Amino acid sequence: MVFGFPDVGLVGVIAAAHLVEELKLEEVAYLDSTLLPPLVVLHEGLPHSSIRIFAGEGLLLVISEAPVPAEAVYPIMDGLMEWGRSKKIKMMVSLGGIPVEDRQDIKELKGFAAASCPEALKIAEDKQIEILQEGYIVGTQAIMLQKASDIGVPAIALLAQCFYNYPDPEAAAEVLRVLGKITDIKVDVAKLLAKGEEIRLRGRDVMKRTQEEMSKMKKPQELDIPMYVS
Amino acid sequence: MAIRRRRSLSEIIDEYFADLEGWTQRVEGAFGERPSWDLRECSLEPLREVVVKPKEVLVTVDLPFTNKVGVKVKPLGTSSLEITAKMNKIVKLNDLGVTHCKGEFKKYHCQLRVPVPVYMKKMIVNYKKGMLEVHLPRKHDEI
Repeated sequence: MVFGFPDVGLVGVIAAAHLVEELKLEEVAYLDSTLLPPLVVLHEGLPHSSIRIFAGEGLLLVISEAPVPAEAVYPIMDGLMEWGRSKKIKMMVSLGGIPVEDRQDIKELKGFAAASCPEALKIAEDKQIEILQEGYIVGTQAIMLQKASDIGVPAIALLAQCFYNYPDPEAAAEVLRVLGKITDIKVDVAKLLAKGEEIRLRGRDVMKRTQEEMSKMKKPQELDIPMYVS
Repeated sequence: MAIRRRRSLSEIIDEYFADLEGWTQRVEGAFGERPSWDLRECSLEPLREVVVKPKEVLVTVDLPFTNKVGVKVKPLGTSSLEITAKMNKIVKLNDLGVTHCKGEFKKYHCQLRVPVPVYMKKMIVNYKKGMLEVHLPRKHDEI
């Protein structure tokens, strides 16, 4: 089960949208909750929930086209993960970004991983994915790791270096490359990179709304230096 | 008796823009949020960020579908910037999936306020892969 939510650089949602397109995944479920804003997304004139679940090729993919309100992150993730567990999923992976100040000067972006348990961490380590050793994760990915740890489902958060405030298709391509290392989900990212400017243009408004929610959930805490107490 | 210092021209201009900005915010508050586009001006409002660092103020603006020659950064007084960038292709509302109204965009436009005193004349502008960076050295002696 893969999650792609609007977050820093819109990395997760851009990557998830590319997976839907490339793997021709089909919508199989959606999330309906009074915790979400009174909003539907129109596609070809028909209403859809902002949070939908696609499936295909042995994969369940959750994508949100609007930021999850800060106060709803916990119950929404809880509901989605319980639903995933009822479908007997083997592993959970969230796609996202990790903001870096000098992003514009980085030629080759790096992907990182954090995991819910030592077994999941080993999967990432075995594929030579750099591990986020210390630090904070805020938002949907934080809840995924914590709850997965509680319910005993292995979960990995994949994070590519990215812009904080700007849609970052290159980071989305990097996180998909890293996803291809730890799973059988391998997609060509050439089309994604070719559409980079269009994605940045189209993503402006969602990015702006996402910034508001990130600020409410104290997302910049991810940049804090951790105080490790042994 | 209080002695009132004569204001410099730059201070008067700054005050004018501060008033204008305050007025704009009040109007926005009264009429709700406005869209990130202006059909009359055929312009889109870009995503941007202003970061105050110890020695400079760094302004970044995301400008997809532009090139360096079409970007203009103009100081407005001593504490505001106007950024305009010509797009290298016309983007129609229809291209963005909006079909209930017609319109097209040819440029980005925004104005932003620099929150601390800076040397506008020492401004350095960089542009890389559609991302604009404006470096403004800070005036520490005026703090």
